[in-house]
Amino acid sequence: MTIIGTSTSAFFDRSNLDLSGLRAQAEKLQQQLSSGDKLSRSSEDPVAASRLRALSRSERLAKIDMTNADRASTDLALSDAALTSFANAIIRAQELATQAANETLTETQRASIGTELGEIHARLVSLANARDSAGHALFGGEAAGDAYSIDAAGNATYIGTAGTGDMPLGDGQSVTRGVTGPDFLNFSVNGSPTDLLTHVKALADALKGSAADPSGAARDALDALGAGLDAVSTSQTIVGSRLAWIDLAVERSTNLGELRTDEQEKIGGTDIAITVANLQQVMLVLEASQSSFAQLANLSLFETLR
Amino acid sequence: MSSDLITIARSGTKAARIALDVTAQNIANAGTAGYVRRSVQMEELSSTSALNRDVSFSGVRLDRIVRNADAFRQAEVRRTGADASRANAEVAGLENIESAVEQAQLYPAIVQFEASLQQLAADPVDPSLRAALVEDARTMTRAFNIASSALQAVGEGLRFEAADGVTQVNKLTSELAQLNLRLARSADASSDQTALLDRRDLLLEQLSGYVEIGAIIAPNQTVEVRLGGTSGLPLVSGGTTGTLAMSAAADGTISFTLDGTATTPAAGSLAGKAQALSKLANISAGLDGLATSLAATVNAAQAAGVALDGSAGQPMFSATGAGDITLTFNDGSMIATAPAGAGAGSRDQSNLAALRSALGTTNPAGAMDGLIFGISSAVQSASTTRDTLETIAGTARIALQAQSGVDLDQEAVNLLRYQQAFQASGRAIQVAADIFDTLLGIR
Repeated sequence: MTIIGTSTSAFFDRSNLDLSGLRAQAEKLQQQLSSGDKLSRSSEDPVAASRLRALSRSERLAKIDMTNADRASTDLALSDAALTSFANAIIRAQELATQAANETLTETQRASIGTELGEIHARLVSLANARDSAGHALFGGEAAGDAYSIDAAGNATYIGTAGTGDMPLGDGQSVTRGVTGPDFLNFSVNGSPTDLLTHVKALADALKGSAADPSGAARDALDALGAGLDAVSTSQTIVGSRLAWIDLAVERSTNLGELRTDEQEKIGGTDIAITVANLQQVMLVLEASQSSFAQLANLSLFETLR
Repeated sequence: MSSDLITIARSGTKAARIALDVTAQNIANAGTAGYVRRSVQMEELSSTSALNRDVSFSGVRLDRIVRNADAFRQAEVRRTGADASRANAEVAGLENIESAVEQAQLYPAIVQFEASLQQLAADPVDPSLRAALVEDARTMTRAFNIASSALQAVGEGLRFEAADGVTQVNKLTSELAQLNLRLARSADASSDQTALLDRRDLLLEQLSGYVEIGAIIAPNQTVEVRLGGTSGLPLVSGGTTGTLAMSAAADGTISFTLDGTATTPAAGSLAGKAQALSKLANISAGLDGLATSLAATVNAAQAAGVALDGSAGQPMFSATGAGDITLTFNDGSMIATAPAGAGAGSRDQSNLAALRSALGTTNPAGAMDGLIFGISSAVQSASTTRDTLETIAGTARIALQAQSGVDLDQEAVNLLRYQQAFQASGRAIQVAADIFDTLLGIR
């Protein structure tokens, strides 16, 4: 009768394979724990790996979207502040025009009001040429240099572009990044288009003596200044609603980012509790295999037969 | 009566000695690769005499040394082993390809390039954003170069191994042919022949690791080896051998010929390497296509716009493939963000938007993801197949080992048994001597 059993070398080979397989499993689990990533290479789960790549890409692009949104909101906030200054200047100009409309004022008093209006005009022009966070003309659309050019006589002409261009906020959303000078400085009085800078300049010049009826000119100017203030407030409202839109987009992006992180964690992250439990199990099996191997390997007939 | 107790006992001790020798040989070769357990087969020696009532015993003699090899199980080991080594070679090759593509970090580099373009949209005239875009584009081209050269290195490695495999096959076949000549001359069941048979089977098993073979064993124990199965092209026939040769095509794939006849091995590591190389050619072509289409998209958009100084946009990349894609300028101001006709320093970014939407259509990141997904799912499915084939091959090997391997416990028992047989025969001689003495002592 032959002893049924595998050959000695097969026993050692197989034990070797089993033990090294268990050891590889334990090492894999340990690696998952220490790196925090479930996948060390794509082939372990091609679908999950592809999803993780897509998520990391969205994450990277969303980060840029957030920076862009920050930039847009900074520029819009700058526009908002500048528009407030515009409104203040126009209100001051209205006060001055109201004073100048008074018939009892002397020429000198009107002339000094005219000088102050001239200062206000200069301030308005410099405000219209304000710079954004990147140093470009805030109200010049996409122009390379200033938004307004001043000729020798002090007249301001818009030299910027018609539109401001959009800033992408991600997921197909975008925001118009600012307002151009003509958006809020140009308006029409009694059906004829005009602009604030020209009006203030004309009023200042009229009060300084260029007009035959300065107080009449001041009265006329009050209408135009009122319309100009309206245009500025309208633009400020638009800027405010764009800022609110950016806030919404940022909030949405943040929420999406959280969802992404969640999914990333779920797909690619190591579940510590489960992994530790699995590791414990593999280690237990490995230890049992090692000790049973040691006992079996010792079990040789040569030891007992003397 | 013609029996002779001493002669019988002497033949018994001799047979026991031989059996002990065989046992010792088994023990000594317990760990030798290809060694097949021997056992002794004894035969009773007796003669029938013309006289009916005559008792005529002559003891025992060694009939033959049995080599416990089962041709079927050996053929199974060769067949399943060839499958397993094909799958192993394929998985190893595919894994290298996967590492080459993944570790070049090309996907993150492409995403970074896209992100840079998006960031430039915030302020298209900002020199630092332009410089960042140029650097990210450079990183991307380098990642393409790295991936390409890594793939090339994988291909060279695979071809080198395949060429070495072909050399090994030719060496093994010529050794088998020589063995055939010696086997034809060796005496039946002699220890010389069993050693040669061990060698023959070991060589066949090694050969089947490289290519799928069919072995036809002749009655005189010589073997005829055919490529791919018992009806394939002859590889070894008697003392003559066929010459396996390998040639590489321009795209890096390999093909084999046996004595000038084209042949495609279906199993064995050579087949696995050929499969991995054809996947490699596939991936390389995909990567080259991605690099050229990306370069073409960006260059077309560049041509439609003007640089920061108002001059016509120049191509940004030059590429005929992933290996040679390079950046053609280092100056960020040459990125054409403004449309044709825009002046110097224009902040009009409609050309940049056009480039971004064209890239959205070409979708290089998606294509790259597709490439990585293709190779990684190929690795995954090949690994699954490999694991199955390994299990099958392992089972076949264990089945063969159980029959032909040396079990030390069994040998320990045999050692004891034959030792006792030897001692018993010795005692028989003692008895014969005593009887003789008894007869001599009669007075």
